[in-house]
Amino acid sequence: MSRSQLDTLIHMANQIAINNAHYGDAAERVHVHLKKFWARSMKRQIVDYLRDDGSQLSPLARQAVALLAQDQPDARATSA
Amino acid sequence: MLHYYDPKQALDPRHLSPERDYGTPARLSETLVSLEIDGTEISVPEGTSVLRAAALADINIPKLCASDNLEAFGSCRLCAVQIEGKRGLPASCTTPVEAGMRVTTQNARLAKLRRNVMELYISDHPLDCLTCPANGDCELQDMAGAVGLREVRYGFDGDNHLDAETDDSNPYFSFDPSKCIVCSRCVRACNEVQGTFALTIEGRGFESKVAAGQSEAFMDSECVSCGACVQACPTSTLMEKSVIEQGQPEHSVVTTCAYCGVGCSFKAEMQGDRVVRMVPYKGGDANHGHSCVKGRFAFGYATHPDRLKTPMIRESIDQPWREVGWEEAIAFAAERLKAIQARHGRESIGGITSSRCTNEETYLVQKLVRAAFHNNNTDTCARVCHSPTGFGLKATLGESAGTQTFDSVMKADAIVVIGANPTDAHPVFASQMRKRLRQGAELIVVDPRRIDLLKTPHHRGAQHLALRPGTNVAMINALAHVVISEGLEDREFIAKRCDESGYQAWREFILDPRHAPENVEAITGVPAEQVRRAARTYASAPNGAIYYGLGVTEHSQGSSMVMGIANLAMATGNIGREGVGVNPLRGQNNVQGSCDMGSFPHELPGYQHVADPAVRQRFEAAWGVPIDDEPGLRIPNMFDAAIAGDFKALYVQGEDIAQSDPNTQHVEQALRSLECLIVQDIFLNETAKFAHVLLPGSSFLEKDGTFTNAERRINRVRKVMPPLAGKQDWEVTVDLANALGYPMHYDHPAQIMDEIASLTPSFSGVSYARLDELGSIQWPCNEVHPKGTPTMHIEDFPIGLGQFAITDYVASDELSNRRFPLLLTTGRILSQYNVGAQTRRTDNQAWHDEDVLELHPADAELRGVRDGDWVGITSRAGQTVLRARISERMPPGVVYTTFHHPGSGANVITTDSSDWATNCPEYKVTAVQVEKVSQPSAWQQQFQSFDRLQLGLLRGGKDEAGASRPPAERANE
Repeated sequence: MSRSQLDTLIHMANQIAINNAHYGDAAERVHVHLKKFWARSMKRQIVDYLRDDGSQLSPLARQAVALLAQDQPDARATSA
Repeated sequence: MLHYYDPKQALDPRHLSPERDYGTPARLSETLVSLEIDGTEISVPEGTSVLRAAALADINIPKLCASDNLEAFGSCRLCAVQIEGKRGLPASCTTPVEAGMRVTTQNARLAKLRRNVMELYISDHPLDCLTCPANGDCELQDMAGAVGLREVRYGFDGDNHLDAETDDSNPYFSFDPSKCIVCSRCVRACNEVQGTFALTIEGRGFESKVAAGQSEAFMDSECVSCGACVQACPTSTLMEKSVIEQGQPEHSVVTTCAYCGVGCSFKAEMQGDRVVRMVPYKGGDANHGHSCVKGRFAFGYATHPDRLKTPMIRESIDQPWREVGWEEAIAFAAERLKAIQARHGRESIGGITSSRCTNEETYLVQKLVRAAFHNNNTDTCARVCHSPTGFGLKATLGESAGTQTFDSVMKADAIVVIGANPTDAHPVFASQMRKRLRQGAELIVVDPRRIDLLKTPHHRGAQHLALRPGTNVAMINALAHVVISEGLEDREFIAKRCDESGYQAWREFILDPRHAPENVEAITGVPAEQVRRAARTYASAPNGAIYYGLGVTEHSQGSSMVMGIANLAMATGNIGREGVGVNPLRGQNNVQGSCDMGSFPHELPGYQHVADPAVRQRFEAAWGVPIDDEPGLRIPNMFDAAIAGDFKALYVQGEDIAQSDPNTQHVEQALRSLECLIVQDIFLNETAKFAHVLLPGSSFLEKDGTFTNAERRINRVRKVMPPLAGKQDWEVTVDLANALGYPMHYDHPAQIMDEIASLTPSFSGVSYARLDELGSIQWPCNEVHPKGTPTMHIEDFPIGLGQFAITDYVASDELSNRRFPLLLTTGRILSQYNVGAQTRRTDNQAWHDEDVLELHPADAELRGVRDGDWVGITSRAGQTVLRARISERMPPGVVYTTFHHPGSGANVITTDSSDWATNCPEYKVTAVQVEKVSQPSAWQQQFQSFDRLQLGLLRGGKDEAGASRPPAERANE
């Protein structure tokens, strides 16, 4: 049984969020984690997902992905 | 482990040659004692034997039962000396030096005594020297010569042992007791060096003989075939079969073992370009002359008929392979890669570096990806083993590596082993650890399984916290809770070395009653009192050291657990000196190195992030190309992207992702989705069956380079035979880069290391010349630490202050799975290595020729399973069938298997659950059901037919049975 690529990314984002939930600056920590470790295409997919739907992201993951979206207002343009 | 360090002699490198035997082990006293031997004045550390003192003065007293890796025994009497003012002729090996002693080692009286001793030995020894396998390397023969033995007055007709039967049961060495002189060196080596205590002297007086186990054949005894006895034997009683068959080697080369992360140094003893035997090198700082069954004996795979010797290509994976020249294969690969990038974009291809290849080779593959593929899609098999170590230790201690040397364990008072099985996976280090345990160190094992370390002979009182798989973080938090709530923390260390606000936040977190052992008991299944006792033992020991393995990292909270371990070590001040520390036991030979060399998609060599403009600028200047500032895909992300259709080509060097990575069916689907898979390996491995280009690799015996072991030690790998297919692995990567239009030119790996040193601050002092001079170097090696850094974080952390991390326990998805009531955990055994590609092609098969499922009698009874039955193991990822072995090593509810044989399909059942920070797969926790079955699983049946098809395609399109058939195939026979 395999998840789709997007389902995997959503699951990963939620997992990162729950493991950082205890910090005061949790959203920023999750954001920095995504920024430092996720590939460009993964960032783009999760940001696109937030813009289109975002319902499967936990509240904390959503905040973090929103911060990521601000970093890269136009993520689609950077992939060449 | 054996110590050869000797404070005074260390000052004079002319002494202490690893090639010489000084008779008895070094003593480390700072107090020097002066004496006179044969008129020569010498000062040696207090406690040194007269025999060793003489050897240090280049006076070689005859000896048989003494060896400097064993404590003196005083049985052969050959080393007798005369000491002024003392009665008789004492054995110099058991006589410690005294100030002002005057020793005579040669005179008529001593000569007569020695001749008489030798005469007795030889009266019960076959005189077949000319045809004896030890001819040319026999201490008994040497001593007969040294004492001038000319006759045996007793004759050979008396009672003797000349008809004793040879035990040939071990595939690698024979035991011929007719040649035994009962010096006990083998027995002492098994006890003192290996720590297994498998050998003994049975009987008394003339009846005394060496016996394995309860007078069993070696293979039936508890012998682990480390070979220490063979190495210790002064005659041909215990002898490598390879020497019996081939004769004595004529030259030797010092190199580094290519098996586990201990990184043992070996002398490859050669006849021409053929290895006769591997002898662990006494000068090796990781192993001090010891080895295991893999490193010493299992090298035959290098010349196995299955080795790939010619490059091959094919258009699609259902076509036969076509043998081509190197140039054509490289051109084919390069054209494909370029075409795919032109069609699907720059990010549609990537590469996987090998944790088995050298640092130089790994460096070149990631350089190829970043500079010639123009993206950061590089990853390595460390992704699936120790990536959480890199992440967790960098976040807390500031450096992605273990803090100690192996030798540091000799100063540890409490040893905590978490999720590691050193006697099987890091056997040489386990022997050293057991030595320390016999000296009285405390042992705490945190592991669901009752590992063999808990049964260390002559060690009592080991504490075993047998937790449920997947509850590590709950356990480490409970241990830390006890330390803080009972006031056992090291306040001075915390105040001086750690970030104050981070500590206060963590302290508040950890003091929450939910972390109390009493409240965690329901999660871990470990009684609170055991947890409290273990925490007190570790925190109150003068030196507490933590060793951990994949049982820590391969979890959904692997990174949290690594940080939890670092928290505990910092809170108790167990960092920054010998005897303490946080010690990840690395799996493969060069996992540390492959991580150091920038294999991860987000980091350039030396753990320098790709987003850092200053770092990128240095690499761009050296490499002459722009470097992408965004991280690339990790292995599991590559698979997902391949299935989604965005990722089309992969270059895999020396890695078998189809067998080693979790959720095999998902991996296979990903590999089938690729338009171009380039596999560089020494065998047609499981991954290669999905490949379009096969580039033959070279074994460690066929190349120059370096490996970096678990203690950050950079060791030289030296070529002893030419590469079977004509190229060392680094040369192939160079060719591929050039074919892609990115110029790479190196004449020797030394030049690659120079480039690494120029770009990697922690390697700036490393060069081949320096390595030859020092033997090995533990990084960081730079202007501040020109000889390397054995112990890290002595003054401060690379990030200044240590950072406590908040590690809340989050239950794995696998734990809450009700359809599958058992938890499967996977691991390794001593005789096989990783995916088994090497060891399965050696006589190590004699110990483990199939993977089995170990389950507890209670779980077996519930399912009507008997020992040896075929059982189906089903998880949410898939099903496989293995033979059952009833065992009480696991608690009820936990089952265990290994993944050394591809047909076993252990990874068909492991899932895509992974570590939150690094995507390291959760191999150690898979919810499964187990039931009796009568045939292989659907996957196994498909595996068998695919395996047959691919081996057929390798041999020109004919369908034929596989060379190494999976055990499941035999299920119905």
